[in-house]
Amino acid sequence: MFVTDIRKEFYEVVSNQRVALLVASDIDALCACKILQALFHCDQVQYTLVPVTGWQDLGTAFFEHKEQFKYFVLINCGANVDLLEMLQPGDDSVFFICDTHRPVDVINVYNDTQIKLLIKQDDDLSVPAYDDIFQDDDEDEEGGDSGNESDGGSEPSGKRRRFDEGALERRIDRQRARREWEAQRRDILFEYEQYEYHGTSAAVMFFELAWVLTKDTKDMLWWAIIGLTDQWVHDKITHMKYVTDIATMQRHVSRHNHRNEDEENMLSIDCMKISFEYDLRLTLYQHWTLYDSICNSCYTSCYFKLWTLNGQKKLQEFLADMGLPLKQVKQKFTSMDMTIKENLRDVIEESSNKYGMKDVRIQTFGVHFGFKNRFLASDMVHACAALLESTEKSDGDNFINALDSLSRSNLDHLYSGIDLAKKKLLAIQQTVASCICTNLILSQGPFLYCYLMEGTPDVKIFSKPVALTLLSKYLLKAFVQSTRNKRCKLLPLIMAAPKDLEKGTVIVVGIPPESETSDKKNFFGRAFEKAAESTSSRTLHDHFDTSIIELKSEDRSKFLDALITLLS
Amino acid sequence: MFCEKAMELIRELQRMNDGQLPAFNEDGLRQVLQEMEALYEQNQTDVQQAKSEGRTELIPSIKLRHCCLLRNQRCTTAYLYDRLLRIRALRWEYGSVLPANVRFHMCAEELQWFNQYKKSLASFMRSVGGDEGLDITQDMKPPKSLYIEVRCLKDHGEFEIDDGTVILLKKNSQHFLPRWKCEQLIRQGVLEHVLS
Repeated sequence: MFVTDIRKEFYEVVSNQRVALLVASDIDALCACKILQALFHCDQVQYTLVPVTGWQDLGTAFFEHKEQFKYFVLINCGANVDLLEMLQPGDDSVFFICDTHRPVDVINVYNDTQIKLLIKQDDDLSVPAYDDIFQDDDEDEEGGDSGNESDGGSEPSGKRRRFDEGALERRIDRQRARREWEAQRRDILFEYEQYEYHGTSAAVMFFELAWVLTKDTKDMLWWAIIGLTDQWVHDKITHMKYVTDIATMQRHVSRHNHRNEDEENMLSIDCMKISFEYDLRLTLYQHWTLYDSICNSCYTSCYFKLWTLNGQKKLQEFLADMGLPLKQVKQKFTSMDMTIKENLRDVIEESSNKYGMKDVRIQTFGVHFGFKNRFLASDMVHACAALLESTEKSDGDNFINALDSLSRSNLDHLYSGIDLAKKKLLAIQQTVASCICTNLILSQGPFLYCYLMEGTPDVKIFSKPVALTLLSKYLLKAFVQSTRNKRCKLLPLIMAAPKDLEKGTVIVVGIPPESETSDKKNFFGRAFEKAAESTSSRTLHDHFDTSIIELKSEDRSKFLDALITLLS
Repeated sequence: MFCEKAMELIRELQRMNDGQLPAFNEDGLRQVLQEMEALYEQNQTDVQQAKSEGRTELIPSIKLRHCCLLRNQRCTTAYLYDRLLRIRALRWEYGSVLPANVRFHMCAEELQWFNQYKKSLASFMRSVGGDEGLDITQDMKPPKSLYIEVRCLKDHGEFEIDDGTVILLKKNSQHFLPRWKCEQLIRQGVLEHVLS
C-alpha cells in the first residue's frame, strides 16, 4: 500500500527499531541511502546496510537477516515484482520500498500489512483499480444448488425441473461473466505491465522526508540533486519530468541560500554553497580540457558527427567561429585564460545555435566549497558511476568506494572517480566511432542490434549494466544522426557484450527508440522473458531493470530469432 | 667478552619497540645467570687469595668482574621490567582475555603477574564510579557520539549486542552500532570506523 504520511507511517515506526537497509547499485539509490543514513545518525536509529546487485543478492541478504530484523527498507529495488512471493517472509516482517522502477506490481500496491510503498500515489502510476483485478470470490457452483434445495422438498417435480433449468442458466451466465472478467483482467494487467519506466528519484523522496522532519541540510539537498541528475544522465526520465523536478529542487536551494544574500553575514568560502546553473551540456568540462570535453560528450559528438573527417572539420570551424584558439582549448580548463572563461557559456550557446544544437545548455546545479572545489551535479554522477562499476575491484568494494565518494571529506575518491569517468567516456566514444564506421549496427527488422566482440578494446568496461546502457544510448543517438534510412531512426536498440568469459555469458540490454518526445518506456523486459521461455535459452533475469539480462553466448542467435518473430 | 649475552636480551626487546611482546628468552636469561655465577665464583676465590696471600695485583680483575656482575644485573632487571610494562599495556589493549599467541610468549611468572594486575585493576574499577563501577579501559579518547558507523572488513559471523539482538557481520556491510560494543572489534581489525 502507498504511504500517505511518510513521517508517521515510516519514520516514526522505524525510529525506535533496528532496520536493515537493502540498497541497489545505482547512483540514485546511493544518494537516497546517504540521506537516510544521515537522518538515522541524527536520531540514533541502529541500522545495517547491505548492498545488493540483483534479485539473487536481495534474496540472500533477506535470508541472512530475516531472523534479526523486522523492518526492511529497500531502496531502488523490489517494487516491480511480487515481493512476498519471492522472499517468503514471516508474517511480522515489514518492507518499506522506495523504488523508481515502474510499473509497481499490483500485489505490492494492494497489500495492506507487510508492504509499504514510499512512493507518492500520483507519481505517474495509473495503477488498475482493485475491482478490476481482484475479485472476492464467494459466488460459485454451490450457491445455485443451495437455492434449489431451499425451494426443494414440497414442490412438485415439474416446477423443480424448471428451477433446475433456471439454476443451470444462472450458473452458465455466471461462468461466462467470470470468463469475460478474467479476459478483461488479463488485458488490463498486460497493458499495465507492458512498459517499464522510471518514476521520481528515491533520493528526492528521502529529501522530502528530511524536509518534513526539518532535518534537511545542504549535504542532503546536494545528494538529492545528484540522485535526480543521475536519472537524467542515464536517460531514465523524460525531459519534462526532469525540468519539473529541477524546479522543485530550485525552491529548496533558494531556501537554503537566502543567508548568502545578506552582505554583512556572508558565509565563509569553506562552507558549502549550492547554486543553480544554466550550464553547458559538456560532460566533465571543468575537470578536463574543453576540447576533450566537446569531443567526448554525447550531445556535441553526435551533432558534429565527430567520427567522420567532415565532423572534425566542423568542430575546428566551430571553435574558430567562437574565436577560441586551439592552444587554449586544449589546455586544462582551470588553466584557461580568464577572459575566455568569463563569457564561455554565452559564446558557446550563440555558436551552437548557428550549428543547429539548440539545447547545449541545461538546467542543473553546482556545488562550491573551499577555493578549489567546484563540481556540477553531472560531474559527480559520472564520477560516482565510474567508481560503482570499476572493473578492478569487487562489487562490494565498488559500492563502498562510490558511497564514500559522495561525502565531501573524501575528495580523493571523487577525483579518482573523475579520472575513471574520463577513461570510460573516451572508451565509449571510441567504441561508438568504431561501431558506426564499421557498420556493426544491424537492422533486424523490428529492432537494431549490435554485438561487441571479445577483442574490442575496453570491452571489460561494458560488461557492467549501467556502462553498457550508457554506451547503447550514445550509440543509438549517433546512429540516428548518421543513418539515412528513415525507418531505422525509429527503431529501438538491443546491445550485447561479453560479460564473463569463463562462464561464456553475454549481457544484453534493450533500450527504447530515440526521439525528441520519447516517453522512455521500455518494453524489452517482457519481450526478453517471453523470448527466453519460448526458446528455453539459459538466461538470468537478475538485474532490477528487467530490460537487462545475462544470456549464454551459444543461445544468442536463437534468442534473437525468437525476439524478431515476437516483435514483428 | 662479558655481558654480551645480556646485551643480546636488551637488543631483542629493542628490535620490537612497537610494544609487541617477543617470546620469553629463557635460554638467554639462564646463560646470563650462569655467567654471573661463574664470575662470582672467580671473584670469591680471588678475594680469598688477595686477602690471605696479599696479592694486590688481583684487585683490578676483581673490580672488573664486579662491574660485569652489576652490569648483568642491570640488564636482566631492565629486560624483565620492560616485558612487564608491555604486558600491562596488553591488558589495556586487548582486554582481560589475551589471545593465545600472546600468552604463549609469556612465562609462568609473567602470567601470574598479569592475573594479579587484572585483579587489582578490576577491584580499582569497581571502587570508582558508584555502585556498578566504571570500566575505564573503554573510551580511551573522549567519544563524540553514542553510536558510530562501522564497516565490516571481513566476514566475522554473528555478533551479539547488549539488548540481545544479533547482527550478522558480513564483508562490506555497514552498521550503526553502540560505540562501546564496537571498540574491541575495531581494535582487532574486523570493523572499520567510517567517518563521514
